Amino acid sequence: MKQKRKRRSLPWIWTGLCLLLGATALQAQQNFTISGKVADKINGETLFGATIFLKGTTIGAVTNEYGFYSLSAPAGTYTIVFSYMGYKEVSREINLEQNQKLDMEIEEFSTLLDEVEVTAEEPERAILRKPEMSVSKLNIKTVKQMPVVLGEVDVIKSLQVLPGVTSNGEGSSGFHVRGGAVDQNLVLLDEAIIYNTSHMLGFFSVFNADAVKDLKLYKGGIPAKFGGRVSSVLDVRQKDGNSKNFALTGGIGVISSRLAAEGPMFNDRGSFLVAGRGSYAHLLMKLAGEKNSVSFYDLNLKTNYTIDKNNKLYLSGYFGRDVFDFDGSFSSSYGNASGNLRWNHIFNDRLFSNLSLIYSRYDYELGITDFEFDWISSINNYNAKYDLKYYFSDAFKLDFGVSTIKYEFDPGQIKPTGPTSAINELQLDQKRALESAAYINAEHKLTDRLTAQYGIRFSHFNRMGGQPLSIYANDQPLVYNPTLRFYERTDPVDEVTFSKSESIKKFSNFEPRLSLAYQLNDNSSLKAGYSRAAQYIHLLSNTSSVTPLDVWTPSGKYIKPQLSDQYALGYFRNFTDKMYSLEAELYYKTVDNRIDYIDGSDLIGNNTIETEILNGESRAYGLELLLRKNEGDFTGWIAYTLSKSEQRTTDSKAGGPGINNGNWYSTPYDRTHDISVTGAYQLNKKWSFGANAIYQTGRPVTYPNGQYQYEGVSVANFSERNADRLPNYYRLDVSATYKPNKKPHKKWKGEWVLSVYNVFNRKNAASISFGQNFETGANEATRTAIFGIVPSLTYNFKF
Amino acid sequence: MKIIYKIILGALVLTSTSCTDVIEVDVPEGPIRLTIEASLDWEKGTLGNNQTILLSTSTPFFDNQNPNPVNGATVQVTNVDSGAVFAFTDQQDGRYTTDAFVPVIGDTYTLDINYEGEHYTGSETLYSVSDISEVTQSTEDGEDDEALEVNVSFEDPEGIENYYFLRFQSQNDLLPELFDIKDEFIDGNEATFYYEKIEDEQDNISEFQPGDVVDIKLLGISRNYYNYMQLLIEQFESSGDPFSATPVPLVGNCINLDNTDNTPYGYFRVTQMVQETYIFQ
Repeated sequence: MKQKRKRRSLPWIWTGLCLLLGATALQAQQNFTISGKVADKINGETLFGATIFLKGTTIGAVTNEYGFYSLSAPAGTYTIVFSYMGYKEVSREINLEQNQKLDMEIEEFSTLLDEVEVTAEEPERAILRKPEMSVSKLNIKTVKQMPVVLGEVDVIKSLQVLPGVTSNGEGSSGFHVRGGAVDQNLVLLDEAIIYNTSHMLGFFSVFNADAVKDLKLYKGGIPAKFGGRVSSVLDVRQKDGNSKNFALTGGIGVISSRLAAEGPMFNDRGSFLVAGRGSYAHLLMKLAGEKNSVSFYDLNLKTNYTIDKNNKLYLSGYFGRDVFDFDGSFSSSYGNASGNLRWNHIFNDRLFSNLSLIYSRYDYELGITDFEFDWISSINNYNAKYDLKYYFSDAFKLDFGVSTIKYEFDPGQIKPTGPTSAINELQLDQKRALESAAYINAEHKLTDRLTAQYGIRFSHFNRMGGQPLSIYANDQPLVYNPTLRFYERTDPVDEVTFSKSESIKKFSNFEPRLSLAYQLNDNSSLKAGYSRAAQYIHLLSNTSSVTPLDVWTPSGKYIKPQLSDQYALGYFRNFTDKMYSLEAELYYKTVDNRIDYIDGSDLIGNNTIETEILNGESRAYGLELLLRKNEGDFTGWIAYTLSKSEQRTTDSKAGGPGINNGNWYSTPYDRTHDISVTGAYQLNKKWSFGANAIYQTGRPVTYPNGQYQYEGVSVANFSERNADRLPNYYRLDVSATYKPNKKPHKKWKGEWVLSVYNVFNRKNAASISFGQNFETGANEATRTAIFGIVPSLTYNFKF
Repeated sequence: MKIIYKIILGALVLTSTSCTDVIEVDVPEGPIRLTIEASLDWEKGTLGNNQTILLSTSTPFFDNQNPNPVNGATVQVTNVDSGAVFAFTDQQDGRYTTDAFVPVIGDTYTLDINYEGEHYTGSETLYSVSDISEVTQSTEDGEDDEALEVNVSFEDPEGIENYYFLRFQSQNDLLPELFDIKDEFIDGNEATFYYEKIEDEQDNISEFQPGDVVDIKLLGISRNYYNYMQLLIEQFESSGDPFSATPVPLVGNCINLDNTDNTPYGYFRVTQMVQETYIFQ
């Protein structure tokens, strides 16, 4: 029913959009357009999110991912101002009598430090006029100032000191946004989907800070051009490479090092970047007589070529791997790989387009020498997308485009590796799917004070054939046993094989997105947003933290697409001459069709996942506050989140009350309070200091509520799902950076970074496990703390 | 398969983990329940007439007293197929015994217990078991190349679904080593499982030494009991570590007919068993 109603409302939206287009087209008749690119003066990197405005008017624009902007205004003489956080503002007089191109290069604040006194910097203050809300944007420079664990700058950990973002504890992969699961985040590296964001189980992120230009996390109000995940979008862009000079950057740390080379190529028509990173802790461990070893490495590549002023090609790639070896008994390796070829084409000064062809893959391999078998699993996707942006007028901009993703899932293959192996060869059903979408989104300045962003995304998912599918009696893969009171798996009664040309199941959804910004005065604004998103692929994980060995699965006959609705309301204010800014947001989010796993579910090597799951829903709501000090020698912020994240699983198809008797229960990523304080202090030109402090309510867990003797052991009985909590989490980190080289003309620039993670050496519980003491048989609770105090020293250089 | 997977994940964590310690934790206290350990295991080649059923009550999690034995219950087992009834005698120490039990492969048995005016019942079918084909010792297998381990092999019959419960008990140790086995990945093959102790000073675990004696039992079990033991073992070994599933209450095969919420703990199993005792050389 719901769907039908939506379908009827679509023509209305289209009519509305057409009317708006028509109206603004008329209005735009006498206007002229200025368009161009904004780039960094020193290295030629294009800047995403730089603001351009005409002084004394409300006319402005923001550069897109490729540094492109376009704005139009009536004929006249203007002062055009270019600004970007951390960069010196530049203004030009222009005489607008015809359409014109204006490329601008602006200079970074810090590179000026040595030579001239700078009084003003464009900081990361609250953006008032744009309807964009629920967005966390971090400049890579800010990220690099924060204290780090083991000397490796980590963009994912940096995000966690912003409101609404948490991790599931040290040593766990991924991150959680507004009470959402790890698999509900769409993580893009140069538009390619990254399935696992962590190296070494969450100790490091897969993003090499030297190769990253900027990152943007959409916690809500997700623009219509993104889709496929219900919680958030993390959009990470790699650097294009220095187009002016050859440059080397690198860092030497205690357990890992990195090196990046970049420079112009193709006779200055392009540039390249190659960045590599690797750990060598395993070598040290071997020296120390440790038989087990862990290591990771990754490689980032990017190059671009300017064909002419309207056409530019980009090629980017990423390859990362983690390798574990346990004394030759077991070995494991896993990682992401991605590649993207892009073609930027500027049709005219108002119409910008980009075509991308993207491939990405995540896979893991396990080699079990003792039992003589290998286990491999992978997910591959091929993605083609075409995005356009039309700068209709100053008041009206339109984004639209199409995208299609072909997925190939290989959930598991087992191959015996020796003639005496007791393990039989096994291939779990390979799965295929096609996810397609079309979207249109308008940014519309309705009045001088009110700006709206509205759009719709239509998504379609085709679970393709080419595999057998189990059929169950009464369509019930599991049934509730009312006598013993638990869910029982049922055996398939039949198997139907779908040919590759057939479709197992199709889904489609309309996903409306709307946000509004109302500027109350020069210093404050109110924003509101609504968004709906559909998610068609799911990460199967019944553990409290996701692991690199979890498997993705597509929606189909037995798993429905997740659908989220999110409402958000925000208040934004700059005060004391923009020295401080305050951002406050309230959100409420629901997700339909969030599956959960029955008691005793077994997902490993399981070809019939439908016998292990029940359909449910989740909801999350909260308040986020962010107070920043943006200027001066001391900068920093305080972030506070008060939130709740719960789920309920009352699937009636199998009979029975559902999980936890059909009651709401906390998700493992529920955190009532989450406070972080981050500060950076520039003492003088040589020394700077950073610190952050984090306090969080403990993770929901399930504790035993009794024991009984059975089969010679004490068996714990457990209470309600996630009804207890780990102890609260608290940590303080500090860092000091020393830049010895002050000679402005010397090319080599080095710095020493000393960080101390967890200064108070607090043993924060990553988990508490319950078991019997081997010697006495007494029950005991064992805490696992991953990081105590971790000092580290890194030397970073630029050449 | 699951065990291997868990070992890998555990190792992933441990390699990088710095420290574990025992701490005090406040845990909730649930209701006290009857615990049924009715394990009628018929050793191959014997009559299987002597059987014992253990009844006790549960205790708070950190309570270190011995299980509270339950006396004064009436206990009987019925062969549903033959109609034979076996009454168990209360030994006043939580044990209820019989010397007249008749095990028949493929037959279904029901258990009936009356305790404090409430009637508990459960039923189970007796499955056969393969013979242990070989018991050996080695050092080069297992996780540690230098530590001794005992290896147990058996032939899985091809083409039929089989479930096993394998139990090692070192006579010097308090706690057993338990394995739940299904033949999904090893159907028709000779399968070998090992028990190796890795030295751990913190937990006072030492490697096997020559002269150590290990009792080995292999049981043919039902699919439902396999599911029960799989979860029991998984939670016994690793409840609460970050890569284990959210721990859940175990649901056995016995119910309370008079007060459905007062469900008993434990299980009623009827199995065929083979056993051996191995002395390390």
